[in-house]
Amino acid sequence: MKKRMFSRILVANRGEIALRIIRACREMGIESVAVYSEADRDAPYLRLADRAICIGGPPPSQSYLRADRIIAAAEVADVDAIHPGYGFLAENADFAEQCRDSKIEFIGPSADSIRQLGDKAAARKLAKKARVKVVPGSDGAIEDNEQAVKISNEVGFPVLIKAVSGGGGRGMRIAHNEATLRAQISNARTEAANAFGDDRIYIEKLIERPRHVEVQILADQHGNCVHLWERDCTLQRRHQKLVEESPSLAINDKTRDAMCKAALRVVQAADYFSAGTVEFVVDHGGGYYFLEVNTRIQVEHPVTELITGIDLIKWMIKIAAGGKLKLRQKDVERNGAAVEVRINAEDPDNDFRPCPGQITEFRAPGGFGIRFDSHAYAGYTIVPYYDSMIAKLLVHRPTREEAIVCMRRCLEETQIGPIKTTIPLLHRIFNHSAFISGKIDTGFIDRVLQNKS
Amino acid sequence: MDIEEIKTLTELMVENDLSEIMIRDGDKRIMLRRQGAVEPPPPQIVMSNPPATLPSPVVVAPANAANPGAPPAAVEPPAADAGLEFIKSPMVGTFYAASDPEAPPFVKIGDPVTPDTVIAIIEAMKVFNEIKAEVSGIIETIEVHNADAVEFGQVLMKVRPE
Repeated sequence: MKKRMFSRILVANRGEIALRIIRACREMGIESVAVYSEADRDAPYLRLADRAICIGGPPPSQSYLRADRIIAAAEVADVDAIHPGYGFLAENADFAEQCRDSKIEFIGPSADSIRQLGDKAAARKLAKKARVKVVPGSDGAIEDNEQAVKISNEVGFPVLIKAVSGGGGRGMRIAHNEATLRAQISNARTEAANAFGDDRIYIEKLIERPRHVEVQILADQHGNCVHLWERDCTLQRRHQKLVEESPSLAINDKTRDAMCKAALRVVQAADYFSAGTVEFVVDHGGGYYFLEVNTRIQVEHPVTELITGIDLIKWMIKIAAGGKLKLRQKDVERNGAAVEVRINAEDPDNDFRPCPGQITEFRAPGGFGIRFDSHAYAGYTIVPYYDSMIAKLLVHRPTREEAIVCMRRCLEETQIGPIKTTIPLLHRIFNHSAFISGKIDTGFIDRVLQNKS
Repeated sequence: MDIEEIKTLTELMVENDLSEIMIRDGDKRIMLRRQGAVEPPPPQIVMSNPPATLPSPVVVAPANAANPGAPPAAVEPPAADAGLEFIKSPMVGTFYAASDPEAPPFVKIGDPVTPDTVIAIIEAMKVFNEIKAEVSGIIETIEVHNADAVEFGQVLMKVRPE
């Protein structure tokens, strides 16, 4: 089943991840074809690609979500494979299928495993079968309110009502008692139907003051699979990650080992291949529970690349071309501590209102152990149609203490203006005693912002 | 207001394809109006902190704020295109000038077209799509060749309207 390495790849995305993929292609001697919307006409990474094809107007629905135009571009450019990046069509099983039906490889997992793991209730079932602890809750989608009440009483209030087709922190509602539960279920169904086209919901116990710890995996099409350790993504604002780090302070080595092995069992049970991430929630006692699987490369993948020295994008490409994973688990070492911050064009003093506009001052940080992934530059105009992330800033040091000192220095050096960015909030986090001592949970940022402490 | 400030304003207008800009500073007022912006851009977000030497712009009017879906013009059109309408590709695919290899092309230079005239076929994923002129006039130029790959928004033909 050994296939040949691709000679040309289409990058079905934009911004920093498009740049990331094009860079990997250039190093591998693979031609890259970028697609862009009219709003991204001046994106600098288009010139790094071997070819760039305009696929539509600015809104994603007219461009980056247009599977038909992306595949048409793939055909006229005669590419062998498409890398979907993250977001947009990356976890769209139909798109993966359409690519392969058109004899274009989709650099990601099979359409079936995207479907199976994209159904959050089905993924929970799979995890249980793989002997992995899941957050206590319903076995699958809730049939009716009485069942919801029964389960909620069994696992104990408060509970979370979640959308089966949701994910990424969207479509969740809390219920502290039976009355609220009954009221919120119909709201949750309506919201889910509107947002995801599927009104099925399930129930999970709400873990209070949780930590979010996820495990990176790589699997090839020959049954080989390795984990690449964990990332702690606890620091979030409204379920959007701001800071990610590895190793996680929330778990000891015994738990780390157990979680990483559990992650492998889940993806093996799903016949998964390519890069993927298994998400867990960790309670304040250090107990871990399976949450969901992300069947794509993630924004924060460079954290893992720094501590392991392994290039995840190149491995995705090699795996998709039929290559064997030449890594054995004992080859995947972790070194030092890595931290990533996301710099967004948002105004932290005005409820994080997005701040599109032209960047006239852009000074990137640098020095030993710094990684700065950004598609922006002085003169670049941020457009309002897409997410507000401008850059990912990472530091890698032997210890977390040194990484924090280094990150503070980098945040002071970084100048991006005149648009507002989240750098001031990041300053506060990296000077906050709770963050420095590692005593944080997913509600930390929202509380810090309320107290302005 | 000195000449350097006016120069910066005119550059701002061209960069953002604005047709009109008015600035008020105390009892001084300047209005700049620009001809020839062919295609209206979507409403642009003007940066909230303009250079310190200029007073804050009061009103910035894109040429057609009522039509935010219109594709932005990349540059000032050259003089030769003055008055011409462009037929742009609505999709990505392969351009064919005729309905099959043996047939004559749908249109040639000098042919009259109406909005419903089929001027080409663009093929994508084995589906052949008829492309209509959408304008009335005479074909002035044909910008692509048979079997060329075309992208969204690419100019296929230029029409002298009537």
